[in-house]
Amino acid sequence: MIEPFLLRALLASLMVGILLGLLSPLINFKGLAFLTHATFHALLFGTILGMIVLLLTGWSYSITLVSLFVTIVVVMGIAGLERKGFMPDSAVGIMASFVAGLTILGFGVLYSLMASKPYYPLSENIISYLTGEIFLVTLGDLTFLVVAGIVVVFIMLVFYRDFLYTSFDPEGIESLGGNVRFYLSLMYFLVGFVSALVVKSVGLITLQVIAVLPGAISARMSRDLREIVGLSLVLTILTMILSLLIAYPTGIPPSGIATLFLGAIYIATARRGVS
Amino acid sequence: MTAVEAEKLTVLYDGKPALNDITFSLDEGKTLLLLGPNGAGKTTLLRTIACFHREYLGRLLVFGDEPCRKRDLISYVPQSYKLNERIPLTSLDVVVMGSLYRRSLFHLRIDKKMYKKAKNVLNFVGLSGVEKKLFRELSGGQKQRVLLARALMADPKLLLLDEPLSQLDPNARAEVAAVLKKIKSKKGITMIITTHDVNPLIDLGDLVMLLNRRMVAFGRPEQVLQDFVIKSVYGPLAKTVKVGERLYCIIGDTHIYQRDAP
Repeated sequence: MIEPFLLRALLASLMVGILLGLLSPLINFKGLAFLTHATFHALLFGTILGMIVLLLTGWSYSITLVSLFVTIVVVMGIAGLERKGFMPDSAVGIMASFVAGLTILGFGVLYSLMASKPYYPLSENIISYLTGEIFLVTLGDLTFLVVAGIVVVFIMLVFYRDFLYTSFDPEGIESLGGNVRFYLSLMYFLVGFVSALVVKSVGLITLQVIAVLPGAISARMSRDLREIVGLSLVLTILTMILSLLIAYPTGIPPSGIATLFLGAIYIATARRGVS
Repeated sequence: MTAVEAEKLTVLYDGKPALNDITFSLDEGKTLLLLGPNGAGKTTLLRTIACFHREYLGRLLVFGDEPCRKRDLISYVPQSYKLNERIPLTSLDVVVMGSLYRRSLFHLRIDKKMYKKAKNVLNFVGLSGVEKKLFRELSGGQKQRVLLARALMADPKLLLLDEPLSQLDPNARAEVAAVLKKIKSKKGITMIITTHDVNPLIDLGDLVMLLNRRMVAFGRPEQVLQDFVIKSVYGPLAKTVKVGERLYCIIGDTHIYQRDAP
């Protein structure tokens, strides 16, 4: 009989694998790897802000929802700066450093609040958002992840071709009548939304690796778009499930195993392709 | 019918004029070659006509209306170096793009008729057999022809081409020029082409405009491409040469190395 927490972790891993497996090739093709750094800062700030809200209001979903909101605001801010003519790395740099400053301020406020409410185990929560706590995913977390995840997968599949074409030639697509602004905004929104959605499962640090490496590895292994997306999906799901199965008996954090596993494959495929 | 008409057109960037006082008229089916040094405003004018840039003074009409209202009739071919070739799209993928975006917002599946049309258009530009080849693996001339095919998929009435010959070797330039001539003769599409090298396109151009942040000259090739006009924009080394009935412009970067006698 499989333990309920393990079943929840497996289902969460599967959903995270599907989401990041689909997103990873887009992140690589559009050159959005740097954007995941901005989402890292946004998620960290959102998590701290969410913890402050939790301490003040006792609302249990505040961390998830506040970090989701902050990440989307930051990502859309980056998209807005790019539309105004900023280079992508400048836009990410400006927003990320601004949010990093706010995070430090947030830490100060959070620690003051924690001192006044020592019965909340929040110090553990900060670490769990950095490393991920897939074994601690609750039924509520899982339901939210699966329902929101299915909606995101549907949107991604519907617009996947348009995301690729817009990334290939935005000017050309605009001249052909395509709404490039909409496609790029939606793509950035999805990167932010998916990051916030899966962060509690995989953790902030691992998120960057799992969002980038499967797409990069797949692009080295194949020259066919469908194969690249398929490989990325298989690789991400496999990584998530394997790391969970290894982590369960050994007690090693699954996010660490996933990072090492993908890193090893990336190095092993280094002689292939150009990604 | 007049395809493009500009009267005292001044294009602005952040309120400052980038291109001044342009007045010209281009009839349907005719080809205009835009010439000028780097920064002269060729691409700016093209992008304004294509409705990418909307900050301008004066009058600009495309088929009798504002450019943005006639976007369905316009196809724009960007410079191929601007494309993100990390994405492994096939030639057919690239051509099919041309027919999608005036129909719907998303494209989960593509109608087989579109693929058939795309193959026909590729055949028209002389590229049958490269459908499944990755775009990034094509030669420069082939890439440019694929982009032309994509532009033709939208059945445009006005084709705007930004430096279609740049970064191509002489053979590839001739290939692309031949396809442009075919488009003109078989499809009768109005074209505006920016170029640094007018020579491969000189037979194609009904009109030539010389730009240098303003309109220096506009008229038939033999009127515009005269020594004193060319020199006023490109400097004293520029000149025109007539070989038989054919006019050649020498306006590119000319390097003269002077060596002291040993």
